[in-house]
Amino acid sequence: MGRKYLHFWAALLFGAFGAGACQAQDLVPVITGSAGFLYSKNAGQTALQPILNPILLFPVGSKFLVEADAELQGFVARSGPGQPYQWQGFNTLEYLQLDYVVNSHVTIVAGRFLTPFDIYSDRVYPIWIRNFEDAPIIYPIGTRTSGSSTGAMIRGAAVSRPDWLLNYTAFFSALSTSNTFAAGRAFGTRVGVFLPKANLEIGTSYERFLQDVHSNSYGVYLAWKPAIQVDIKGEFAHSPQGYGYWLEGAYRLPDAGPIGRQLKNLQPVIRGQQFVRTAPGIGDSLPRANTQRVDFGLNYYFPHEIRLNGSYGRQFSSTGDSNNWTVALTYRFLFPMPFWPKGAK
Amino acid sequence: MTASRSKYVVLALLSMSLFVALQGSARPQRGEATPQKPAATKVDESVEGEKRFRTNCGRCHHPPEDLSPREARAVVRQMRVRAMLSAEDERLILKFLAP
Repeated sequence: MGRKYLHFWAALLFGAFGAGACQAQDLVPVITGSAGFLYSKNAGQTALQPILNPILLFPVGSKFLVEADAELQGFVARSGPGQPYQWQGFNTLEYLQLDYVVNSHVTIVAGRFLTPFDIYSDRVYPIWIRNFEDAPIIYPIGTRTSGSSTGAMIRGAAVSRPDWLLNYTAFFSALSTSNTFAAGRAFGTRVGVFLPKANLEIGTSYERFLQDVHSNSYGVYLAWKPAIQVDIKGEFAHSPQGYGYWLEGAYRLPDAGPIGRQLKNLQPVIRGQQFVRTAPGIGDSLPRANTQRVDFGLNYYFPHEIRLNGSYGRQFSSTGDSNNWTVALTYRFLFPMPFWPKGAK
Repeated sequence: MTASRSKYVVLALLSMSLFVALQGSARPQRGEATPQKPAATKVDESVEGEKRFRTNCGRCHHPPEDLSPREARAVVRQMRVRAMLSAEDERLILKFLAP
């Protein structure tokens, strides 16, 4: 038996053990995630993007969880003016991780995970959560090379008091050139303080990129929910290639009076962002020149986890100003693993 | 900065100020309060769980619809890792999502 079968037997053994432990505790694996259809027109270029983002949650016993998230995305656009629309497909493994919850303060994660730099990548990224379907322009800072890391991570709440909470994350990622597990060699950390009474979290991130030219990226973030309808988030990030920020506000209209009942599912959103290029960078996915952008959007929440959102953005850059239009329909799904037997308890 | 660019920036700043002003006038709603000591009864634990949900998970998303207790255990286990919940948070949020 060659080494190429080792992964298969390891997966089979883990699956059999996990299924037994799962059933004994009356747990069920869950398939969740989102599906969406995105229309965008950026600087005159129209694109259609169907997206399917299934996530498998496989709890094992009382301490373990296996999480896997794949993204299947299509991209339909013209290659040039007057050309026919062409289809391209992209499949990515966002994460495949084993979580071990040691206690209330420590969780150990191994495998492939979302790089925890600031908050966008591991909290706001899912298409059914984010208020604007296009990611902030500074998103590549601190999340190279693929937005995911392959290695190990430790995270948790170091201090948890009624008035404040200190959370932390530290990770190491190995270089992986495999298409499925693409990641850069890096280590990093994130520390945040959450004040429950103010519903305010502020924190800072640091990442050391360890391949080719070693470099440091750092950032700070803010997440504030001063009232139940209001949501404010923002990030600042700095890298050797440049620095920038985004700040976003969303207001869910209140359910008050006859007009409020009709409008309570509406959520106007606004985002301002800026990037300043300080050094050229090849393939860093950041704008080539200083860029400013402002976006206005409107989300409408339908029943059954369906959301429709539309946005308009105006981008200013020395390489050319542009208008950016987006319309997206997203659906969040969640169901138990089909044909999974009922547990013993 | 050109005049039209300034116009957009001023508009953006004004809109953000409006958001902050709106939050100042918004009244706190039920279930928005901060975590307290766990309550004794099942109903109180569910209410406390809702508070913990709003404090921890509700900052990014609304609660899922129609979860069975078995499904909720898997989902809250993931949230425990993502949102760095304590064991007590996990237990109370489960009471709220799947009483």
